[in-house]
Amino acid sequence: MNTSMHAGPCADYEHEIVELAEGSLPPEKARGVRLHVASCARCRAWQSAFADLDAGLEQALPRPALSVDFAAKLESRLSAATRLSGRTDLRASAEGEYRLALEALRRGTRFSAIVGAMTVVGICTAGLLLVRGVAPDAGPLFAAFAGPERATTFVALGAVVALGALAWSATRGFLPMLRLRA
Amino acid sequence: MDGGIEQHLAAGRHARAFDLVVPAFQDRVFRLAYSILKDRAAAEDAAQETFVRVWKALPGFDGRAALGTWIYAITRNTCLMELRKRRPTVSFDDPDSDEAFRAAASIATAPAEDPERDNLLRMVDTLPQNQQEAVRLFYLEDRSYEVVAEQLGMPLGTVKNLLHRARKRLMELAQPVEVKAA
Repeated sequence: MNTSMHAGPCADYEHEIVELAEGSLPPEKARGVRLHVASCARCRAWQSAFADLDAGLEQALPRPALSVDFAAKLESRLSAATRLSGRTDLRASAEGEYRLALEALRRGTRFSAIVGAMTVVGICTAGLLLVRGVAPDAGPLFAAFAGPERATTFVALGAVVALGALAWSATRGFLPMLRLRA
Repeated sequence: MDGGIEQHLAAGRHARAFDLVVPAFQDRVFRLAYSILKDRAAAEDAAQETFVRVWKALPGFDGRAALGTWIYAITRNTCLMELRKRRPTVSFDDPDSDEAFRAAASIATAPAEDPERDNLLRMVDTLPQNQQEAVRLFYLEDRSYEVVAEQLGMPLGTVKNLLHRARKRLMELAQPVEVKAA
């Protein structure tokens, strides 16, 4: 190869020479490029170098092919992925059901706690009223409910009952979660 | 090419569509992976991984992009992930490692087989990554700019420019050796 290639082709013809080699130039333009190349040593050298490189790359670059068992390998990989996906789905489904069950349990427990607290307060009140009706002079027990501080007594009693109900609710609500997670 | 595939997809028959996708795209997916990874076994593995991902994602394919464009994008992403996983340097500390064996084999056999071919391949390896991919793919895909553009997800003009710059650079690299030899 001669050293004239150092200068490269004429700028206007660089891409056209490549397109001429690839056969993508329209006939009219191809004729013009051929005429120019025939009269220009630089472009001729570049065209020759390009053809050498093109042929060299065509031969040198490896052309690997897929192995014959590609499809079989893919099938087994997909089967494995399906099994894995199935297990993942199953686990996600179980976890979802567990979460729903736990939520339902908590909701039910809270509802039971409220009903229970109201029932306890009602029973206590009814019991007191009943005892007071049957035995109006039952001694010091009713002093607290009949005296000037009776409002405080009732509030304190209500608070004790409500706290008890909440504590019960908390016990029912949290312990199952701890047990299931373990 | 993928009209039947798209009909199956439109009808929600994803498994049947996938059965057609694999034979229709496996060679091109493999060649694209090879042009990026430069290793036959790694390219085949990436092709398998690509199809597993395609299989998983096919029910969500909305048809906004062409199926081929979508599959090649998955292939490129799979290959890029593989490249990221690779270690930046080859260690010879473990002489039994595959990398060490391949590197040693390459050095040992390079001068003996075909010096011109090996020299050209080494020059290709010095090109920027995107130019290397374009060059390899262009010759693997029977010099089709359109196919390369689709596979690399680039406009046709960009691919032409990339290849032109790559081949011009290779001619420049080849020149001093040839001038010296002349």
